[in-house]
Amino acid sequence: MSKGDELRRRFPEDKVLARLSALGLVARYPMLGNVAGKHRSPVRGSSLEFAQYREYVPGDDPRRMDWRMWGRSDRFYIKEFEADTNLRLCLIVDTSGSLAYEANGISKAEVMKKLAATLAYVASRQGDAVGLFGVGERFHTQIRPRRNATHLRVVLNALDALEIGGKTGLDSALHEAAESTRQRALVVVISDLFLEPEVLNRCFRHLRYRRHDVCVFHLLDRSEVAFEFHRPTRFRDLEGDGAILTDPGLVARPYRKAMDDWLGELGKVMRDSAVDYRRVSLHENIEDVLLRFLLGRKPKPKGDRQR
Amino acid sequence: MSFLQPWMLFALPLVALPIVIHLINRQRYRTVPWAAMMFLLKAQRLERGMARLRYWLIMLLRMVAVAAMLFAASRPLVSERLGGFQLGGPEMTLVVLDRSASMEAKELQTDRSKRSVALEKLADLLSRRQHGKRLALLDSGTGAVRQLDNPAQLAESFYTRATAAGADLPGLLERALSYLQANEAGRVDLWICSDLSASDWDAASGRWTAIRESLAELKGVQLYLLSYGERPQDNLSIRVENVRRRQGVDTSELVLDVTVRAWDRQRSGSVSVTFEINQVRSLVELELASGAASLTGHRIPVGDQVLSGWGSVEIPPDSQPADNRYYFAFAEPPVRQAAIVTDDSKVGDTIRLGLEIPSEIGVQHAVEVVPASRAGAIDWEELALLVWQASFPAEPLAGQIRDFVDSGRAALIFPPERVDDASLFDARWSDWQALTGEEQRLTWWRGDTDLLARTAAGDPLPLQQLRIFRHRQPQVGSAIPLAWLEGERPLLVRSASGRGHVYFWGTLPMSGYSTLEQDAVAFYVMLQRALTRGSKGLLEVEQLDAGFELQERLATAAPVAPVQAAPLVSERGLLAGVYRRENRWLAINRSPAEDDPAIVSEPDLERLFQGLSWVRIDDQVADQSLLASEIWRLLLVLLAVALVLEAFMCLPDRARRPASSGEV
Repeated sequence: MSKGDELRRRFPEDKVLARLSALGLVARYPMLGNVAGKHRSPVRGSSLEFAQYREYVPGDDPRRMDWRMWGRSDRFYIKEFEADTNLRLCLIVDTSGSLAYEANGISKAEVMKKLAATLAYVASRQGDAVGLFGVGERFHTQIRPRRNATHLRVVLNALDALEIGGKTGLDSALHEAAESTRQRALVVVISDLFLEPEVLNRCFRHLRYRRHDVCVFHLLDRSEVAFEFHRPTRFRDLEGDGAILTDPGLVARPYRKAMDDWLGELGKVMRDSAVDYRRVSLHENIEDVLLRFLLGRKPKPKGDRQR
Repeated sequence: MSFLQPWMLFALPLVALPIVIHLINRQRYRTVPWAAMMFLLKAQRLERGMARLRYWLIMLLRMVAVAAMLFAASRPLVSERLGGFQLGGPEMTLVVLDRSASMEAKELQTDRSKRSVALEKLADLLSRRQHGKRLALLDSGTGAVRQLDNPAQLAESFYTRATAAGADLPGLLERALSYLQANEAGRVDLWICSDLSASDWDAASGRWTAIRESLAELKGVQLYLLSYGERPQDNLSIRVENVRRRQGVDTSELVLDVTVRAWDRQRSGSVSVTFEINQVRSLVELELASGAASLTGHRIPVGDQVLSGWGSVEIPPDSQPADNRYYFAFAEPPVRQAAIVTDDSKVGDTIRLGLEIPSEIGVQHAVEVVPASRAGAIDWEELALLVWQASFPAEPLAGQIRDFVDSGRAALIFPPERVDDASLFDARWSDWQALTGEEQRLTWWRGDTDLLARTAAGDPLPLQQLRIFRHRQPQVGSAIPLAWLEGERPLLVRSASGRGHVYFWGTLPMSGYSTLEQDAVAFYVMLQRALTRGSKGLLEVEQLDAGFELQERLATAAPVAPVQAAPLVSERGLLAGVYRRENRWLAINRSPAEDDPAIVSEPDLERLFQGLSWVRIDDQVADQSLLASEIWRLLLVLLAVALVLEAFMCLPDRARRPASSGEV
């Protein structure tokens, strides 16, 4: 199968990919890349973007001295510019059994793969390094971020080969990712996050501590929130062998309350951890989701930069 | 509670339908692969509290809705007073109606009597409720059981109208039992409508034991006592105790003794008594003291030409109209004739002396002494008292004497000197016995009534001094003793025969036999009373207590009063009034017992129906509520409420925000 065929099979149409690629994926925080790229760097470089004046010290390159400033003030100043660099995109995808949940013929796993593949494609197109980490009970797929021309195919093939099943070990995987990714990176987590908010809070704080730009695509279908069942139903656990036979009329109200409470706490965790949080329902158009995501990451007007 | 459509109750198991549907639904579950199990587990833990309660409440409301619908369809009749839960109706309903005068007590505001209210409510109840294939009425007026076509006839029937008669409740229940036994009825509702008047119920009667046992043997008899035991305290009753016509030298007058009694024994104040004689009315004010007033010897002049007639006394209307008027009749007293049949002239003279002297002014006595051999020549028609001191006669003279007594007059029998085996009125004399010592004294005599009663002043007759030396004991089949000697040996007994009485006195008024001759006062009084009693059979007037047994006598009589409302032939004897039959006046009034406000006590009532299945329904005339009413409307309201509540509890949670992507 050719690469073009693969993309068409897993991703939205070519026109959609073209539109998304045109928007580009931007890091919210300065990245430490190894080559020039589209993202801000914490070090000064030679881009066209003026950064600051600095007094000359012996050893500085005299070519970067601003002679106009010497003419006006009779003192030597170095004119510094922003450095642009590439980023590392770490795609951490949840492959536990709960990702097999389907609504209207679409499973969370499919959405997860489309999101991951599209993001990988967009990042690869703009020269960023893309890595993929598949998480079941632990990391079972680890592809370190690279930026060579054939790496995208490796990532896409790995995505295609991901098997869904087993329990989730997302919390330990996130801690491990935070430790193992040495340089700053854009960490995109795609999962249904069925863990206690406090556990997730520790994971995201860990990632943020390591100065990673963390983004979460939360796969949660509205049928899981609304819980609109009327007849007695046997709910089979997708992450194990267990099942619960219950009357939805009895459990609907407490279920919804538990779900509301959990979502409320999760939102608070995301805000506190400065995580770019995106909730995705299975019925939503992937292009719309990614459009909102990419537009939301566009740089704000000057003065909004952070270190 | 009973049901007009009880077969609908067979559908009651449908009440379990919500549970059955629930269980079927649980079996028909579907399997759904589910990711968010952590929330289901939490929900299951929480569900054990309020959610489960709410769920079962919903289930309960659904069951209530189904039950309410089924009960409404079965058209339940409900009454707190009927009590019990009754599925289906009886095979037969028998209504025992107390039509006594006391049942005419009214509620002044509605002008409805206890009897009419009871009939109306019972007719309404039976028309709604199942009364079986047969509906019968047993009324106290006629004492006969009559079939009714429908309950409405209860209120309209001729046999449920007011009467002035009393009611014999034990007798009525005996008839009801006979009827039920004869008809071999299965399940029977036996309704008794009564005001619980103590005199009508006669709770001390021994008949109740047999009634109770017989009712208990009749399986399936459900007794309902619809009672109106309230007694209006404002009620006054009037009664003429005595009336006589007295012929003066140049004028004639009626002398009346009238009593007015209040049911409230503490009542005082004045009461107007209206006398009406020959359409002439006069008014007298009486003062009540301790709830009673009496007018003794009240004189009302009547014309010399008016030798007989009738009149009435009346008090103002109150809540018991049946005892506000009393009818009486009067006539010129006849000559009181007595015949003494004896072969002993001394005995004859002694008795003649006691009878000849009239005890009342304006009354003439005529006494003749006749030897036994000429007794057949006595003019029985004009005779009031026969005094017999000879051997009992043979027929036909014995028959003439029996006819004489049966016609309402009196005979006083003394023992003959000669001992024989003859009998009269089923009575014989024992041999002569000589008494000594304490045997000669009277140990007991009846002082409340009859020949040896106390005087009008309340003093006992001087019988303590009386000594009996020789004695022949009267041996009578059924007689009431009036005086005993030592050892309960009867000295004076009374036996009834027809409308008259026969007295047997076991000694002679002669020295050597007794001291009657010396203690003449008691002997005189006894003779005068016997003559007075016998003369009543000759009177042209009769004061009678109302009752169905009078109907035959009054069938050929002409109704005289009340003038405006002459009773029908079949009502004669049951209503108060005055009749004329040949030359006799018959005044009919309620019995004295009907003026007694006493009712059967609670313990007595419990005792009377002990061990029987009975329900007491205490009603009041002023109570306008029906005995039972349909409650299907209430059940429909219950159904609606249950459905609304169920819908409210099934409402989904408030509208949920659809899950969508976006920043938090």
